[in-house]
Amino acid sequence: MNKYITLRARSGSFSLLLEKRAIIVLLILAGLSCLLVIAGLSVGSSLVSPLEVILHLAGAGTGEHAFVIETLRLPRILLAMLVGGALGVSGLILQGIIRNPLGSPDIIGVTGGASLAAVIFITCFAGGVSMDWLPLAAIAGAACMSSLIYLLSWKKGVTPIRLVLIGIGMAAAASAMTTMMIVLGDTYSTAQAYLWLTGSVYGADWVDVRSMLPWVLLFIPLALFFSKTANAQEMGDQVAAGIGVKVQLHRFVLLFISVALAGSAVAFAGGIAFVGLIAPHIARKLVGRSFGSLVPVSALVGGMIVCLADIVARTAFLPLDLPAGIFVSGIGAPFFIYLLYRNRHQ
Amino acid sequence: MFRTKKALFTLTALITVLLVIAGCGAAKPAGTNTEASQTAAEGQQARNSQAEQPAAEDAVRVIEHAMGKTEIKGTPTRIVTLYQGATDVAVALGVKPVGAVESWLEQPFYQYIRSDLEGVTVVGEETQPNLEEIAKLKPDLIIASKMRHEEIYGQLSQIAPTVTHETVYKFKDTVALMGNAMNKQEEADALLAEWDARVADFNGKIATKLGEEWPIEVSVLNFRADHARIYVTGFAGDILDELGFVRSELLQKEADNGGVVLKLTDKESIPSMNADVSFVFLTDPGSDEAVQKTYEEWTAHPLWNNLDSVKADQVYQIDEVTWNMGGGLISANLMLDQLYEHFGLQK
Repeated sequence: MNKYITLRARSGSFSLLLEKRAIIVLLILAGLSCLLVIAGLSVGSSLVSPLEVILHLAGAGTGEHAFVIETLRLPRILLAMLVGGALGVSGLILQGIIRNPLGSPDIIGVTGGASLAAVIFITCFAGGVSMDWLPLAAIAGAACMSSLIYLLSWKKGVTPIRLVLIGIGMAAAASAMTTMMIVLGDTYSTAQAYLWLTGSVYGADWVDVRSMLPWVLLFIPLALFFSKTANAQEMGDQVAAGIGVKVQLHRFVLLFISVALAGSAVAFAGGIAFVGLIAPHIARKLVGRSFGSLVPVSALVGGMIVCLADIVARTAFLPLDLPAGIFVSGIGAPFFIYLLYRNRHQ
Repeated sequence: MFRTKKALFTLTALITVLLVIAGCGAAKPAGTNTEASQTAAEGQQARNSQAEQPAAEDAVRVIEHAMGKTEIKGTPTRIVTLYQGATDVAVALGVKPVGAVESWLEQPFYQYIRSDLEGVTVVGEETQPNLEEIAKLKPDLIIASKMRHEEIYGQLSQIAPTVTHETVYKFKDTVALMGNAMNKQEEADALLAEWDARVADFNGKIATKLGEEWPIEVSVLNFRADHARIYVTGFAGDILDELGFVRSELLQKEADNGGVVLKLTDKESIPSMNADVSFVFLTDPGSDEAVQKTYEEWTAHPLWNNLDSVKADQVYQIDEVTWNMGGGLISANLMLDQLYEHFGLQK
C-alpha cells in the first residue's frame, strides 16, 4: 500500500510528495476555515444569522447587512487568514532551515526589525507623515535586519547555528532600541506604538487585503516549489550536499521566502509573532514531516489561529474591540499543548 | 545544463502565472468594494431624504479638516465622538453624543462630565473604536482625530460624514472644528470668546498680584510606576502658556524643538524639573502602589529639596483628569478654576 502521492515533473526539476492522509487533513482544515469565515462574518456587535451570511455571499441576500459584512468584517477576516498563513509558512521554513523546533520569524530579525522601524516611524513621524507609509517602513525594517543577520552569519557559507546565535543577539538589540524609542516618545504616540507591537488586524480594508494577497499567492507556492530541497536540508548540510542539493543557494532562497512572508504579514498586522512558532508544530502533529504537505497545512492552521483570535478579540469584551495579538497565544498555546498531550505515547 | 535551464523556465512560468492570478484576485475585491460603498451611500441618501428637515437647515456645508473636505448637510443630531476632548466639547456645546469612546480613567466616562453623558453608548477604546457599534448607532456626524484614526478614516466616512482634528489635545481647535461641523458656529464662538475673556482676566489679576515677579516659571510634573515626566507642552502646557506663565530655559528649548513630554528615568535629572511653581499629579495612584512609591522616593531625594518651587513651598497636587486626560473646553475651564484658587485670585 502506497501512502504517498508523488507529483513530479518529467525532468525532475519539480517534485512534491503528498501523504494521502495529509490530503484528507487538508480538506478537513479547508472546510473548517470556511466555517470559521462564516462564523466570523455572522458574529459581532450585531448578529447576522449564518444562513443570511451564506445567502449574501451567494449574492442572494437582502443587502441589509451589506456594509457590516462587506466593508467591516470580510476584509478583516481575510487579512487575518492571509497574515496567519504567511506567518505559519514562514515559521515552517525557518524551523526546517535551522533544524530547531524553536525557530520562528523572530530568529531572523523580521519581527524585531519591523517593530523597530514601525515604532521609530510612529514616534518620529506620526502626525506629520501619513500612516499609509507605516507598512512600508515595517517591511523595510524587516528586510534590513534580515540582510544584516544573514551577512553577519556568513563565514564561507551560513550555518544554522551561527544564524540562530546572531539572530537572537540582533533581536535582543532591536528590542532594546524599540523600548528606548517608546520611552523617548510622547504619551500620545506611545499608545499607538504599543497597539502596533501587540498586533492587530483592526481597521483592515480591501486595500490591505489586495496588497497582502500577492505576497501570499507568490511566496507560498514558491515554498512548495522548493519543498524537495527543504526536505533534504532537514537532514543536515552534509547529507543534503551529498544527495545533490546546492545547500547555500537553496538556503538563501528559502530564507528569502520566509522573510518575505513574515515581513509582509508583520507590515499589515504588527507584531503577531507567536503564530510563526506554533502553527508549524500543530501542522507537524497533524500530518507528519513531509514539507510538501506541511506548507498548506501550516498556512491554514496559522490563518485559522489569527482569524479565531481576532473574532474573540472583537466580540468577547463588547463594546471594546481589542487587538488580536492579545489572544493569539491564548488560542494557539492550549491547542498545541493538547496535541502534545494526545501524542505523548506515539 | 539542459536541466537547469528547464528548471529556470518552470520557475519563471510559475511566477508569471502567479502574478496574473494575483492581479485578477486584486481586481475582484475592488469591484465588491465600490459596490459596498455605493450601497452604503445609497442607504445614507435614503436616510437623509426620509428625515424631514426645514429647508433652511438643509444647506450643505463643506468642512475642511485635517484629512480633507467633508460635506455635511443641515444640523447633525446623532454625533459620535472618538476622542476624549471631542466628547468634552460636545457637552460644552450642549449636545449629548449618541456614542463616545471610553475614557482612559474613571471608565466609562470621566466623572466631571458623566452626568451629562447618561445613556450614551460606549463605542470601544479611543485607540481602537468599534466600527460595528458606531455603524449600529446610525450617526450623522463622526468627530475623530487624525492622530488616532487615520487608518479607519475611509471606513468611518462610509458610516457617516467624518471630520478629523490633527491631535487630541488642542481643545480650542476642537471647539472651532466641532462648531463648524455641528452647525453651531455661534455657540462655539461664544464659548471661545468666553475662554479668551477668562484668560485675559486671569492674566491681568495675576500680573497685578505678583507685580515684579510676574511672569513666573512653571513646570507640570507627573509620577508613574517606573519613571517621572515633565509635561512641556500638550494640554496643560499650552494652557499655561496662554495664561502667560513661562518655562525654564531648558524646558523652553525642549518646547521649541517640538517636545511634548520629557521622560525622566533617573533621579539625577530632577534639576530639570526646576521652576518657581510646580504642579504635580500622580498617574492613577489609587490602583497602583508603585506610583505612590515612586513619588515618595523622588521627593525624598536631596535634589528635589533643591528645587526653587520646593524651597518656596510652591508645589501643588493637581487632578490628572482635568489637567491632562480631559483635553476639552470644560476640563480647561476646570483647570483654570483650580489655578484661580491656587493663586488666591478672585474669579
